[in-house]
Amino acid sequence: MASLGQSQIADEGGAQSRVAGMLRGRGDQLLVLVLIFAIWQVLSMWLGTYWIGSPWGVVVRLYDGVVHGTILHHASFTLAEAVIGFIIGAIPAVLLPFLLRRLPIATAILDPFMVGGYGAPKLALAPLFILWFGIGIESKIALVAITVFFIVYFSALAGVRALDAKLVQMAQVAGANERDVARHIVFPGAVPYVFTGFRIAMPYSIGGAVVAEIISSNRGLGYLVQLSAMNFDTIGVFTALIAVTIIVFICNGAVDFFERRLLRWRPAGDIKNQTSA
Amino acid sequence: MSAQPLLEVRDLSKRFASREGRDSSLWVIQGLSFSVRDGEFLTIVGPSGSGKTTLLNMIAQIDTASGGQVLFKSESAPINDPKSLNPGLSCRIGYVTQEDNLLPWRTTLQNVLFPLTVQGRLNDETRARAAELIRHVGLAGFENHYPHELSGGMRKRASLIRTLVYDPPVILMDEPFGALDAQTRAVLQEDLLRLWEMGRKTIVFVTHDIGEAIALGDRTLVLSRAPAKVAGEHEIDIPRPRDIRGIMTHPNFGTLYQRIRAQVQ
Repeated sequence: MASLGQSQIADEGGAQSRVAGMLRGRGDQLLVLVLIFAIWQVLSMWLGTYWIGSPWGVVVRLYDGVVHGTILHHASFTLAEAVIGFIIGAIPAVLLPFLLRRLPIATAILDPFMVGGYGAPKLALAPLFILWFGIGIESKIALVAITVFFIVYFSALAGVRALDAKLVQMAQVAGANERDVARHIVFPGAVPYVFTGFRIAMPYSIGGAVVAEIISSNRGLGYLVQLSAMNFDTIGVFTALIAVTIIVFICNGAVDFFERRLLRWRPAGDIKNQTSA
Repeated sequence: MSAQPLLEVRDLSKRFASREGRDSSLWVIQGLSFSVRDGEFLTIVGPSGSGKTTLLNMIAQIDTASGGQVLFKSESAPINDPKSLNPGLSCRIGYVTQEDNLLPWRTTLQNVLFPLTVQGRLNDETRARAAELIRHVGLAGFENHYPHELSGGMRKRASLIRTLVYDPPVILMDEPFGALDAQTRAVLQEDLLRLWEMGRKTIVFVTHDIGEAIALGDRTLVLSRAPAKVAGEHEIDIPRPRDIRGIMTHPNFGTLYQRIRAQVQ
């Protein structure tokens, strides 16, 4: 892997060693996965499957759930809540710092409220949202949106603030107006920060949807967790949790995909960039 | 010599407020006056910290002076009024800064085309000119590379032709070859002189290298330590076209070098 960071201009040899390195990395990851399953199996045998469902039982249940569509049915609700909530929360969170860029006083006035909103435990709002929006999908979307909003807002704000004044001056001398500066300099410069926000907010969006479902719902993976726990069905609880984890993985992959496409210009600095392209 | 200088600096001063914002403010430039003729290659040398970059920033109108006058074609720059600045004076003054300031998210070609893009002047003719400049400075084949994939010298060249591509009548240069090795530097100096002799623009070139100032300029100004003013002025009586690598052997070089060095403190 050491040679990967140095390869500035991609060449065939670099691509080959990159693939080799990736495969080795995957092999190591598989080893860790097997280890986790082994510990899990030992724990479930030691403490009893009543408390800790066995991994094999979970695999069987997950397979059945996928084949019969019950898991997919519940997962689709959770995913829909997370995705819609994410979009509703992220769009204003990205736009607001750009609109506030030329209004430092407004930004300063808003700041304590944003810090407060960021710090407040959003899950505590779940009962309120259920009161307002009912036990349907709307209350979950609201919870996800507000969680995502504050995380992405502060990332996008950091991106707008990290603006390099020298690049702006260069552009102005070259004839760029305010709009050109926003479009060609402020926005592309902030994209990496926005994606950092997305990456952090994404698991929270799914977690928020699941917790809201646990509190009150009749569908979704959170409901499945709640239902299984009430029936003392630990395998059911574990199955639902594994399904949530798989969704997080898939969504993470989606964020990676878009980030790679939008940020091709960045030097190959971290593992994420090295294993790509 | 024409009666009306293209660019004139009269009794210029610049003060940076001290951190406490009280009376102990720092004068970087005080009582600085000089003028630049149309088509002239003026070089300015001075010790580091003598306000050379600040001077160029004020001429390019990305910074405002504290007192005095900066005149371009008898138009006066705003004094002590950052809000009325017109950076680049509507694309009439180009500025090659000390750092390359390439946009990391644009490829070499996109960076070179950037001024044309924002000026709305992107067409077949200007694209052809950009391609020619890219070839001319040896960046052919690197058009689609991002800045982090280029060497320091290549980035410098890209930043140089980014200004040349839109052909501003005046170009300010702030130690553009400062961070380069001697070989690359000589190549770029030759390139610059050739381009200048082709187009005869007005160039104000700041450097701390006395040899470079003599090799490139028609005239060299020496700035004093802060607060900077003109400590000396030297006509460079070495005929053009000049041989950059052999300039040291010219009979006038030695005397000029000695005289300028005596004034740079």
